[in-house]
Amino acid sequence: MKILPFALRGLSRNTTRSIVTTGAMAFAGTIMIFYLSLLEGFTETFERNTVGMNTGNIQIHAKGYRDDPDLYNRIQNAGQIIKKLEAMGFAASPRLYGYGLAASGKASSGINLRGMNLEKEPTVTQLYKHILKGAWLDKADKHGVVIGGKLARTLGVGVGDELIIISQAADGSMANDLYIARGILKSVGEIIDRAGFFMTDDAFREVMVMPQGAHEIAVSTRNMRIELKTAVKMVSQTAQGYETLSWRKLLPVVARLIDNAKAGTIITLLIIYSAIGMVVLNAMLMSVFERIREFGVMKAIGVSPLQIIAVVFAEALLQASIASVIAFTAGLALSLHFQTYGIDLSTWTGSAVESSIGGVALDPVWYTHVTFDTVTMPLEFLLLIVGIAVIYPGVKAAVIQPVKAIHHQ
Amino acid sequence: MAVLRRAFPWLCLAALLPVCNGVWADEASKERAGVILREVDDLWRGESSHAVISMMIKTRHYTRKMKMEGWSKGKDSSLVVILTPLREKGTASLKSGSSVYSYLPRTDRTVRLTAGMMMSSWMGSHFTNDDLVKESRLSDDYEADITFEGKREGVDVIEFTLTPKPDAAVVWGEIVYLVRSDHLPLRALYFDEDMKLIRTMTFSKPEIMDDRLFPTVLRVTPQDKPDEFTELVYEKIKFNIGLDDAFFSIARLKRR
Repeated sequence: MKILPFALRGLSRNTTRSIVTTGAMAFAGTIMIFYLSLLEGFTETFERNTVGMNTGNIQIHAKGYRDDPDLYNRIQNAGQIIKKLEAMGFAASPRLYGYGLAASGKASSGINLRGMNLEKEPTVTQLYKHILKGAWLDKADKHGVVIGGKLARTLGVGVGDELIIISQAADGSMANDLYIARGILKSVGEIIDRAGFFMTDDAFREVMVMPQGAHEIAVSTRNMRIELKTAVKMVSQTAQGYETLSWRKLLPVVARLIDNAKAGTIITLLIIYSAIGMVVLNAMLMSVFERIREFGVMKAIGVSPLQIIAVVFAEALLQASIASVIAFTAGLALSLHFQTYGIDLSTWTGSAVESSIGGVALDPVWYTHVTFDTVTMPLEFLLLIVGIAVIYPGVKAAVIQPVKAIHHQ
Repeated sequence: MAVLRRAFPWLCLAALLPVCNGVWADEASKERAGVILREVDDLWRGESSHAVISMMIKTRHYTRKMKMEGWSKGKDSSLVVILTPLREKGTASLKSGSSVYSYLPRTDRTVRLTAGMMMSSWMGSHFTNDDLVKESRLSDDYEADITFEGKREGVDVIEFTLTPKPDAAVVWGEIVYLVRSDHLPLRALYFDEDMKLIRTMTFSKPEIMDDRLFPTVLRVTPQDKPDEFTELVYEKIKFNIGLDDAFFSIARLKRR
């Protein structure tokens, strides 16, 4: 017996129902491809903003520095460690940190002073591109600084305005100098937005009287295709005697948020598809009951129960296949469109300076990110759920007794 | 029976006497402690004062010496200007009421220190900016109680314990102050809210300066870093020199 013609004939019996069922599957598939791409875009942006904007994949600190950020607790041989890491293929940048007070006019605010290495930092993070107004630091402009968006607002400064800082230098003297705001950052994260005060490493060393060492080395694995755990092991072997941690350990809340988002995706897939499963189950049951006498006759003339199950399954799978093709085309097109143009959520999230979750800045324009998984996973789930939903109608049709079926009203 | 009935009120009064006596004694002790504390508070200040002080700071990371000139008026106004080292010459700290301003000659600007900066070190020493504001008001913020009076190491001393008044915005949980019988300060122990000793201040080398006997050396040692200290040596001090309030204004800070 040829299964396919029978299945096709079954589907054409009630074209409206077949179209509605296929349409529901295709719609769910399309929505899920788009939803997964959207979620992937969110987690990818979140991870990129966390790792690529400030943290780096891995960080090295002197032991105890993270608990007590003491100006004197430094990585003394930072230069050597960075050279070794670079030879291994990593990108690494030394950073200097201090705390103080910035003032402009009558306003003043506590600041987190950050001395940046202008050659190395761009190899690790993209912060230099994240400027809202003005420009990033310049080696030639030692008194030019870049500050966080909220700090700029607290102090009431714009690009070109004067800022004074006061802190305690490493030699115990009062560190103070006059700077000009050359740039204001877009939202990066709560600490940087509120207190970030970036200057060149030379300017930092001069004002804080700190000729040697670094407080942090940020490491990027961007150019290497290795697992984070392997990278941490390699870096920690190079920076022996110091504390080496991955961004997942440094920002456990963010890491958990991303992991939970991934787990949440599967749950959402199951919820959406259970509804679709019900639609399929209902449609197939209707189809089976409508043709119960036909199945009875088929069985009477010697068609086996397995062949009948095969017919019902083929009908469902035919519909699912057509739905998959439609979902693939529509979902992919929709996702690719928003991967390029994004969805502007600034009306809900506020301005570019303000939106952040868990201290990590989020671009108010939400972009989808299409990956192999975001497209195939919804389709795989669709076929699986349809397969499960059709078991009952299939078995029902297969086990029917010909005599009862022929007399079925 | 009648005699007993008549004597009853007197008996009650007699029974209450020791209790009242204790209360009165306690009150008297508190008042005396308060008087001594005010005396100690005024020792460095007078109505107004002008001093030349050298400061030596020794920490694990640096040792530095500074010379500075200071003026004070009443409890709420003081001004300290750095004379040496050259790098910081002219840097001034002005305390006016509960605010502290820093004049920075390098930038020719005056900055008001925020609340967040009050607990950070003043000029790299073991004093905080908050000490500048709060220290002069011990008698305003703390209740004093005499906890020991007698001989210690051959010297007649009075020890009194200062506990913060209920509404006082202070950082210390308790201060134990030791003075000589002539009320000259010897030592002060500063405890945090968990009654953990945080720092010790010792007063030594009493000399007659201007019109009074005065401990000319003041050393503060943090408890967790016993090798570190900040020592203030009063080289010159004059009291009641008649300063006007405008002397402590921000406008004058810059012109000095």
